[in-house]
Amino acid sequence: MTFARPLGLAIALVAAALFVWLYLTIERRSRAQALAYSDLAFALDALRPARWPAALILTAYACGCAVLALALGGPHFLARVPTHDGTVVLCIDTSGSMRATDLAPTRADAAKAAARAFVDAVPAGTRIGIVSFSSGANAILAPTDDRDAVHEALARIPPPDGATAIGDALAVAAQGMPSRGRRIIVLLTDGINNRGADPIAVSQNLGQHGIRIETVGVGSSGSGELIPGTSEQADLDASALETIAQNGAGRYVAASDAASLRDAFRGLAFETVWEKRRVDGSLPFALGGGALLLATLLGGFALGKFP
Amino acid sequence: MNAFGPRLRAALLAGRRANVRGYGIVAPRRGDGYEFAELRAYMDGDDPRRIDWAATARAGALQTRVMLEDATLVLAAVVDGSASMHVGRTTSNYDAGCTAARMWYDAAIDDDRCARIGFGAHMFPAVRGRAAAAACAAIRDPIGTVPGDALHLALAALPRGARLLLISDFYDLTNLGDELRACANRFDLTALLAADPWRAGLPLRGFVRLRDAESSRVERLYVGAAARARYRAAVAAREKMVLTALRDVGARTAVLDAAAPEAAFAAAFGLG
Repeated sequence: MTFARPLGLAIALVAAALFVWLYLTIERRSRAQALAYSDLAFALDALRPARWPAALILTAYACGCAVLALALGGPHFLARVPTHDGTVVLCIDTSGSMRATDLAPTRADAAKAAARAFVDAVPAGTRIGIVSFSSGANAILAPTDDRDAVHEALARIPPPDGATAIGDALAVAAQGMPSRGRRIIVLLTDGINNRGADPIAVSQNLGQHGIRIETVGVGSSGSGELIPGTSEQADLDASALETIAQNGAGRYVAASDAASLRDAFRGLAFETVWEKRRVDGSLPFALGGGALLLATLLGGFALGKFP
Repeated sequence: MNAFGPRLRAALLAGRRANVRGYGIVAPRRGDGYEFAELRAYMDGDDPRRIDWAATARAGALQTRVMLEDATLVLAAVVDGSASMHVGRTTSNYDAGCTAARMWYDAAIDDDRCARIGFGAHMFPAVRGRAAAAACAAIRDPIGTVPGDALHLALAALPRGARLLLISDFYDLTNLGDELRACANRFDLTALLAADPWRAGLPLRGFVRLRDAESSRVERLYVGAAARARYRAAVAAREKMVLTALRDVGARTAVLDAAAPEAAFAAAFGLG
């Protein structure tokens, strides 16, 4: 934690010391007004009073003052905060293998449903773009924060057909990205790159430019699942997807059924909208400290005059 | 003398115990005093301790010493002046004790002797009569007077059979056992327990600061409903324990409520 206003912190510490002095002075005066009792030991034994309310209130006062003092110091610290200005491009595989029905009703439809869940989970303000790819890559929708437009774009994704050009998809997704800000590509595929640019090289390039890449693999390698209408097996190059994710400082998630695919996308929606930032904690500290002091004051009056 | 004085005096005379001999001016009536009246032949029912063995030897038959009845009293009072007695709601326990002592001395008549025993401020032998009673009633003990020292002084200075009133909160009852027993044996002892001012319940709730009257130590406590109930029960239990202990040593006892000192004597002497 750092402090933007060290002088404010110093003043707050002096104020805290004055507060302690004032409190002790009041305490000394109050002691003289204490209710005289014949035998305190008997009273303590008879009452068996609870000690925690006084300790709790004193602690709460001290904490409230400390938090207020910190607020005056202008505290800044690294925190995971939700981002409202990020850009996410969903790259959805539309190769022929996406016709496979191991994910009900088909991999393509399950991918669209998961994408819709992703869009719904991402907070307002995050721009979302759609890229579909098979033998080539097409930008269906440039990044926008219009949720309705995104849902319409998802409906426009072409039916599965053709080869798998993962590298091209990454390149097209990057073209639609702004030059700065939080930029993320979510790549969903069930195959092996067999067209276009080398996805490993593209991902390295994107990673160097600060674009994060999250990858989601659908199906599995060697499952024996055939591409419908063909005799080709729908293989998944999981290691390549892992490498792409690592190059883009992201993660690789495997989805073997529709539910896990949806969960993976929801998880990504959550993770992609949180980022570590150096934030100014003055206002939350001031509000928290003030609220704590007020609550303590009211609590003290509710329990009995205190101090 | 107020109306209560004669009743108290009558109760003091009537309540004399057989094993406590009196002191003072005798009355012309035969009784259980110290003053010799005559010798007569022993009759059934006579106290064997009154048999005069020398006269019996001379006469060849049992002879009983007939005594004149004591009709005067030696009234003494010890009011605990320790700091713990200087607490109370509207009236401190010490002031209530002084009021009770005044009522005690109101029982004196002109022939009675009065003494007020206090550590460092005792008054004995007292002048006879109402003037002495008034002087004793007006005495204020210095703060710090403790009953243990005063009882030692009473045992040393008061005659056997004196009517001794002891008023205290008895927080150091365990240290007073021997002195109380000795006083009860030697005197006609009436011990009044100064009631806890907060016996009906602590006046404050929530956060309360209590200061020990003796040591001035201050404690901040949180007093909830359960603690108040526990306190009332503990005060009642303590009163019962102290009164039982005082009765066990042979004292006449009652609780002295600052608001009604007369009631304490009424309870102690069974006055209706």
